[in-house]
Amino acid sequence: MRNKLLKYTLLVAVIAFAGYKSVYFKKLSNIKQTAAGQFDAKSFAKKIWTDQLPAKLDSAIELAQLLDSIKTDPDAAFKKYSNAMAIGNYRYSLVKVTGMVTGVYEDYIELQITNGLSKINVATEFIYGNAIRDASKLFDVKDFTNSTDLSNISEALNGIVKQEILPSFKTAVKKGSKIAVIAAVEINMAHINLNNLELIPVQIKILP
Amino acid sequence: MTVANLKYSKSLSKFQSLIALLILCIVLSILTDKFFTAENGLNVLRQIAVNICISVGMTLVVLTAGIDLSVGSVLALCSAVTAGLLKNGIEIPAGNLWIGFTLLGAVLAGLLLGFLLGCFNGFAITKFNVPPFVATLAMLTIARGFTMLYTKGHPISNLGDSFAFIGTGWLFGIPVPVYIAAVVVLVAVFITQKTKIGRYIYAIGGNEQAAKLSGINIKKVKITVYAIAGALAALGGVIVASRLDSAQPNAGISYELDAIAAVVIGGTSLSGGKGSVWGTVMGAIIIGVLNNGLVLLNVSPFWQQVVKGSVILLAVIIDKAGESKD
Repeated sequence: MRNKLLKYTLLVAVIAFAGYKSVYFKKLSNIKQTAAGQFDAKSFAKKIWTDQLPAKLDSAIELAQLLDSIKTDPDAAFKKYSNAMAIGNYRYSLVKVTGMVTGVYEDYIELQITNGLSKINVATEFIYGNAIRDASKLFDVKDFTNSTDLSNISEALNGIVKQEILPSFKTAVKKGSKIAVIAAVEINMAHINLNNLELIPVQIKILP
Repeated sequence: MTVANLKYSKSLSKFQSLIALLILCIVLSILTDKFFTAENGLNVLRQIAVNICISVGMTLVVLTAGIDLSVGSVLALCSAVTAGLLKNGIEIPAGNLWIGFTLLGAVLAGLLLGFLLGCFNGFAITKFNVPPFVATLAMLTIARGFTMLYTKGHPISNLGDSFAFIGTGWLFGIPVPVYIAAVVVLVAVFITQKTKIGRYIYAIGGNEQAAKLSGINIKKVKITVYAIAGALAALGGVIVASRLDSAQPNAGISYELDAIAAVVIGGTSLSGGKGSVWGTVMGAIIIGVLNNGLVLLNVSPFWQQVVKGSVILLAVIIDKAGESKD
């Protein structure tokens, strides 16, 4: 009986000590106030989108030219026309194409490019990943103290496309529409496959 | 077969994992000069530390003739909760209160969650007679779903230097995860070999009906075993999150298979009652060395899976052959 009492007293003491050393309390309003002064990825991305991205879009390479360069000299092409912030084989480029819509589907549209390249897809529903952020070449990893901020920037840029660029386009586009797209494209430089490319649109217009 | 031959054969089967490991090491040392170095040895040990933690829990479960398929998902959920509590704490808007968690608090909360999820597995298995395969398969899906809900599909990163020390730190020239795995192994060996519950675990796996008739509280032992497996999976989750400085929502996928492989290669019988924690450690080392060797030899990841699967199959065949001889 005495042993049991000692055992349970010891157990309660250990739990109480662990609890005391485990948590601390603050006013939620104070925490939120501090957080408000931290990095705001949405505002940052929006500012970049408005102030700096348009110039980059103007200098986007024609998709056909990019593909020709990759076929001729992949190393030089990837070095000149692509970018990636993470280590790995995936590279991202900003490209522009014009073409005719040959299919409108729930998640993407199919595009026959004007200069006769094989058909490609343009994503219209699932806009995710770092393609736009990396292809824009506007961000340097050294400017950020943590990777979450960089991920949040990608998410914010993708959000702008989803909320501001695609809704009006999706309601207006139909089979046979002629469109002009400036988009980010992902290519694996270790296993180059130029046949099933998917473009992540940054700017997309229906031509008259 | 003479008695001497039988004894020789039994002692050989006792050391079959060790012999297999030695042969593997000799072959890899011949094939690549990068294998047999202190640096690579420590690298392998650090890599297998997580699998050892999970496999030890799995050994206890398998010894009772059970199986726990949920460890990978439990690992992911517990690592996410640990990281989430450490980074974001808990907000209680109604009381304008924010509860922050210290490193100790977040880790203990993660381990407690793993323990409770394991208890839930054990409870479903013993109270409702759900087969372990089905109960833990359900938990695999439930825990993964909760992980996705909790993290909203995004990793929780930047967990601080002190947290990173758990998975990436070194003490006296040895990685910290190796110490953690060593403590887990020693405690598990003590439990299985020197305590009442250890003997009960073997008894239940050997013959559950006989164990029940001899007065062993089967339900209590089984719930305890699954709870330990859950807590050890959570510990694995803490190490993984710490190593990556990030809790990934898709962490731990197929870890249960590596753990089961380590248990089986280590000679623990899937029908329960036979096996040891040391055997599992050996099994985990064999898998780790095999993985490491295949990478050093530049074998394609697709072939690596084929080789690993074949080794597991071979281990089970040898085990079954040994059982039929007995």
